[in-house]
Amino acid sequence: MSNQKLGQDLWHELMQFYIHEAWLLDDRKFREWLELFTDDILYFMPRRLNVQRADSAKELSQPGDLAIFDDDKTYLAMRVERLETGMAWSENPPSRTRHLVGNLVVEPVDGDSDSNNSYSNNDEVKAKTAFILYRTHHETDENIFAGSREDILRRVDGAWKIAKRTIVLDSNVILSKNLSVFF
Amino acid sequence: MVIYEKKYDVIDLETGRLDPLIFTDEEVYREELDKIFGRAWVMIGHDTLVPNRNDFFHTYIGEDPVILTRDANGKLHAFLNVCRHRGARVVRADIGNAPNFMCAYHGWTYSNQGDLEFVPGEDEAYYRDIDKEELRLVEAKVETYAGIVFATWDKGAPTLEAFLGDARWYLDMTFNRLDGGTEAFGPIKWIEPVNWKTAVDNCSDNYHVPTTHLSAILVGTQMQGLPRLTHQKQFESENKHIFINGHSITVRPLEKPDQARQIHGVTEENRHLFEDFYRSTFAEAEKRLGSFRAGGLQLGNHSIFPNGVLGFRLAHPRGPLETEFWHFALVEKDLPDDLKSSLKRASGNYNGVTGLFEQDDMDNWRGVTRGSRGSLARAYGQRLSMGVGHEGRNPDLPGIVSERYVSENNQRHFYRRWEEFMNADSWTDIPLEPITANFEGTATIKGTE
Repeated sequence: MSNQKLGQDLWHELMQFYIHEAWLLDDRKFREWLELFTDDILYFMPRRLNVQRADSAKELSQPGDLAIFDDDKTYLAMRVERLETGMAWSENPPSRTRHLVGNLVVEPVDGDSDSNNSYSNNDEVKAKTAFILYRTHHETDENIFAGSREDILRRVDGAWKIAKRTIVLDSNVILSKNLSVFF
Repeated sequence: MVIYEKKYDVIDLETGRLDPLIFTDEEVYREELDKIFGRAWVMIGHDTLVPNRNDFFHTYIGEDPVILTRDANGKLHAFLNVCRHRGARVVRADIGNAPNFMCAYHGWTYSNQGDLEFVPGEDEAYYRDIDKEELRLVEAKVETYAGIVFATWDKGAPTLEAFLGDARWYLDMTFNRLDGGTEAFGPIKWIEPVNWKTAVDNCSDNYHVPTTHLSAILVGTQMQGLPRLTHQKQFESENKHIFINGHSITVRPLEKPDQARQIHGVTEENRHLFEDFYRSTFAEAEKRLGSFRAGGLQLGNHSIFPNGVLGFRLAHPRGPLETEFWHFALVEKDLPDDLKSSLKRASGNYNGVTGLFEQDDMDNWRGVTRGSRGSLARAYGQRLSMGVGHEGRNPDLPGIVSERYVSENNQRHFYRRWEEFMNADSWTDIPLEPITANFEGTATIKGTE
């Protein structure tokens, strides 16, 4: 098969993966969602600073600095487990969410491949998506979160898993009482 | 003694009744901005947020935008970020490095020492009839406590040392323990649909923890390897709760000096690494703070009047019904990097906008805030009666000490302090507890001289 065909197949496969993920979240199947992540996951959302163009390099806080999400598998699992206690009041009553995911771009992981668009032997790829997450809560709380996600996806026993997720919100001051929902 | 009618009488110290008007009323709010945020020493930043000459960090005192900057001589300044011409902001970024600030509206340009250096058309359009000396950036008074930067607009304010009073004796245990001092990371910023005071009074509410935070306790204690926190444990706790000048302080007794402090980020796995650290730094801490403060007590949750919440974290008022909350992580500079990382990571994961704990606070505080708008809610008021009369002095602990760790002495003291500021015509009417604590050791308000 040509590289182009492989690329199209992969794009289609991964888009399906992301659509599946979005439905899991919006249907509140958080335990199943958690299974989409590898054990060495870093689920990361840096802070986004409001800086002059000349300081663009400082727009995102760097790994190791204080981040909005900085979860390994243990922390991410704690978030899910917390919801299952029934006493996580920020999500009980639960939020109503709609995750819209698109603009998928699939790339080889940096330095992983010597020829462009060669995905055939790769068990890891980089996948960038844009998202809009609409959330309402209680009576009138309403949030629209927009941003990008850059994932490292790894094929484990034939299924794609998320090995690293970096979420960049298009926000400085977050206009929400909390981020008790997943991205 | 001058007897005058108090304008505000919102907390009844006998019954604990609190008037909810203070959470929703626009006029009260505007008066708070003048009489509390216009007078108090307000935490605005940290030394390490502006490490280099000409660095700036954008911050707030109340609703007033403030530029915290280190000038070319290394001196800290806090300027009102309002151009003297039309009132536009002269700095529009969170951070940066600049020797001067140009207002992007008409080009008025100020040095980072506050001088109005350049006005386009000074000769032609203004006919040289403009007093640039008088049109400097408005500057607040700045003092630091162990690297934390405080500022006040009020020229009649007492020293920061007097303002903190004996609260500093306790705060030193976290903020002033080592020669190397602390380092600030952040902030994470978000908008809470709550009155700013609920965030402050709640942070020393030891009553809500087993209910509000039960889910986080259930999943968190496992990781920390600690026994589960229950109501009974809170009621019988040996921890102490202390009130000084509107500041609220809690302390936990330590069983041994190298005991790993009970902080998020100290887990079952890494606890021994923290204990190694406390053991290896004990002599230094003892030299700075004396042995009781270095190894006998741990500072727990605390608030610094008016709006410092749970450490160096800020509740910026944004109207009676909203607060812009800033979550920082403050860690000791001398900590090994892996321990720093786990504290930073846990700081954001337990508190902050995504915090396992803090996310559950929001609907409580919002309820307190919004619920206060109703006519019936206003008529019935809030009831903060827990532990009335059960507080006093303790020979080992400066300040007024609650008999039990769980009580509403905290809220009563906080709202009484609020009244003292709101009823005062100037700082001369605002009482300050005298400093009585024995500040053993070499640590000073500056950290290390």
